[in-house]
Amino acid sequence: MKNPNLRIAALLTALVFSFVIPAGAQVPPPKPASPPPVPRIFLDWPGADMEFFRSEIPFVEFVAGLEEAQVHVVVRPERVGDRDGFAVDFSGLREFQGENNTLPYVPLPSDKPEDVKKGLAGIVKIGLLRYATKTPVGKDLSVRFLDQTKPTSVVDKWDFWVFSLSANSFLMGETQYRDSSYYGSFSASRVTPELKIRTSVYGNLSKSWFDLGDEIYESSSHGYGFSGLVVKSLGKHWSAGAFLSVESSTYSNLKFSISAAPALEFNVFPYDESTKRQLRALYRIGYTGTRYNEETIFFKTSESLLQESLSWVYEVVRPWGNATIQLEGSHFFHDFSKNRVQLEGEVSFRVWRGLSFEVGGRYSLIHDQLTLPNGGATYEEILLRQKQLATGYDYSVSVGVSFSFGSTRSNVVNPRFGNGGRGISISM
Amino acid sequence: MRRHLGILLVLVLGVSSLAAAIRQDQPAIDELKKTALKVYLDCDSCDLAYIKTEITFVNYVRDRLEAQVHVLITTQATGGGGREYTLTFMGQNSCRDLTDVQKYFSMKTDTEDDVRRGLVKTLKLGLMSFVGRTPISCRIAVDYSRPDAAGPSRDRWNSWVFSLTGSGYFSGEETYMSRMADVSFSANRITPKSKVRLGMSVDTSKTQYDIDDEIITGTKSSWDGSGLYVKSLGEHWSTGVFFEAASSLYSNIDLGVTAAPALEYNVFPYSQSTRRQLRLLYKLSVNPVKYREATVFDKTREILFKESLETSLDLREKWGTISVSAAGSHYFHDLSKYHVDSFGIVSLRLYKGFSVFILGGYSWIHDQLSLLGREPTFEEQLLRLRELPMNSNYFVSFGFQFTFGSIFTNVINPRFGSSGSGGMSISIQ
Repeated sequence: MKNPNLRIAALLTALVFSFVIPAGAQVPPPKPASPPPVPRIFLDWPGADMEFFRSEIPFVEFVAGLEEAQVHVVVRPERVGDRDGFAVDFSGLREFQGENNTLPYVPLPSDKPEDVKKGLAGIVKIGLLRYATKTPVGKDLSVRFLDQTKPTSVVDKWDFWVFSLSANSFLMGETQYRDSSYYGSFSASRVTPELKIRTSVYGNLSKSWFDLGDEIYESSSHGYGFSGLVVKSLGKHWSAGAFLSVESSTYSNLKFSISAAPALEFNVFPYDESTKRQLRALYRIGYTGTRYNEETIFFKTSESLLQESLSWVYEVVRPWGNATIQLEGSHFFHDFSKNRVQLEGEVSFRVWRGLSFEVGGRYSLIHDQLTLPNGGATYEEILLRQKQLATGYDYSVSVGVSFSFGSTRSNVVNPRFGNGGRGISISM
Repeated sequence: MRRHLGILLVLVLGVSSLAAAIRQDQPAIDELKKTALKVYLDCDSCDLAYIKTEITFVNYVRDRLEAQVHVLITTQATGGGGREYTLTFMGQNSCRDLTDVQKYFSMKTDTEDDVRRGLVKTLKLGLMSFVGRTPISCRIAVDYSRPDAAGPSRDRWNSWVFSLTGSGYFSGEETYMSRMADVSFSANRITPKSKVRLGMSVDTSKTQYDIDDEIITGTKSSWDGSGLYVKSLGEHWSTGVFFEAASSLYSNIDLGVTAAPALEYNVFPYSQSTRRQLRLLYKLSVNPVKYREATVFDKTREILFKESLETSLDLREKWGTISVSAAGSHYFHDLSKYHVDSFGIVSLRLYKGFSVFILGGYSWIHDQLSLLGREPTFEEQLLRLRELPMNSNYFVSFGFQFTFGSIFTNVINPRFGSSGSGGMSISIQ
């Protein structure tokens, strides 16, 4: 430097600026003592109102040059169609190398300069989120949609109809045991908030084979059917609909059975809270016509029955845990003593920090096994649980407790030597 | 002074939100929704209904090729017993140039609701890079809650995590009763440099049948204690040692102790493990064992030496999942006593709405050294209470699904309960 006075002047200006800028930035609430590291941004837009950007986007630090920046943001004018607009380029530097994006911003013709400035800051803010979420400041950020939209506001040439064809098979065996099963179905459904239609036809076949040393034991069962459901929405709490089904099954001793059941449902909570809580009561009254494979214990080979049922379901998912409780009762009209009551529930909750508790169970009182075959079941069928058996009740209970303590900040993933077993689940 | 500024700020904010409210109806929101981002969610363990009701500024489609962004969510267990969710955002069609990866960590003690809320928050933030390209982005606000000054505290447990679990299952009818119970304890310390895993578990079960007033009872019980230490050697190699002590009625083992040093090589770097792994694990083990009853080889105790090699390939790509593994082992005292296990699963989303899967496994078993010397009873055979001699076992499953029609899956209609869509899904964790 040739002139020492110039140097001093420059230093003074820099000092004044460094006082002025933080002072200006203090208008929003003061920064905490040790601010978490935030992404450093270089906004490459000569003449930008930096004060405005700092107050609009408080979760990043705007820096003066590319040298210390982690993200380079360029705002440039661009024509979109017949309107003047902007394009904002985001380029990741250093640890964000390769993380690039370009976002468009097109102001409305009626927008004033302040609106445009605000709109641009909004789009810069959105573009910077992907970097901010990778720094500690990410946990303090969230996104909120200001409107409600209908899920059906889409252009759909199929009018929400979905068709699906599927077939599955499962075979297994070892030297003395073999088992195979096959399943196929075709479904057509249309689900909108006002109306739900689900239909499907299906068929299944299963076989097993045992070598018991001195004899071979073989068994097979099969079934097919149709099921249909139509539900019309009646406001926030009520729905009305009907179930229709056709069934044939060797397990249940049904040669052919057809049933139709209109139904009505009331939900104590509005349906739009259903992912958080529901308390639904469903009443149905159904007519069933059946022909049996084997004569039943009541010496029938076919009959027509009228049945009504009422079920209550309570489901809740909350920060403390979740619960499902279901109570169902039904009876036949020709003989009120032919009835069934079932209580089922599952609760899992966090009692205190690392202590969580799970309990589930079912209890049924069964007095309506009208379809049981008169011939009973063989010794092998009983042990292998291949036929429905006569019983007055059945129950199951499961209980689980888990307590964990120790380090709470161990987010480390270490996949070496496997990660504690591999679980595979298949659901149909 | 600051209070006045605060009031001013509130006023300004109030006015601007009022202005926003007035502007709201101009480009009617339902029109904006029609051009909203098309998203394909590829996640086996997510509460999809919750995500769809919480994030309504995008359109969900059921076919990956229709989407502008394919969000692949993969999970892995963390050292603390929670899960690491890796959200890979893959831009497609008009967003082909854009990709991003975001992470969310759940804790072991988190409830279902904690996890789904955390995941939705991360998903929302990650989607914004894509949503920013659609006009609906003008209706989205970003909230920033300034944290209280609190520096990270010291971990006084030094990364150790302990867990005690117990569970029981009871079921029955008039002529049938079943009881199962198990208790387990684990202590783990998992860091990027090393992994220590210690566990103890006890299992017992009983089933009872009443057939023509004759009571048939079957009982099974076993216990197991195990330990594992692994040291990391760079991005591709690891070395370690396994310990185990176990007892099992089913396998006729009164007490078996195993110690096995081992070496592992991963063809892909370990840091990609949530998406890609091809691992080879070699183990050399010594196993003194004492049997409950004399075996078919007329032994009541012996010391066995064995070597084994396992290889597994796991890929999770946008077109589907491949997971294949094979393991072979043999004893040194008699090389004809060997065991080979193979397992594979391939699930592919081939083309618009068409997907296929096949999974299967085959085992060649020639090392059943602990088999009972006597013939098992009829009930022991049928109720599978004892290990039976076999040379091989297998299972195969395959299927396909073809779906056509509407591509949108935005609607959640909970009326009359939500039953499955009739499709099939396979998840591997």
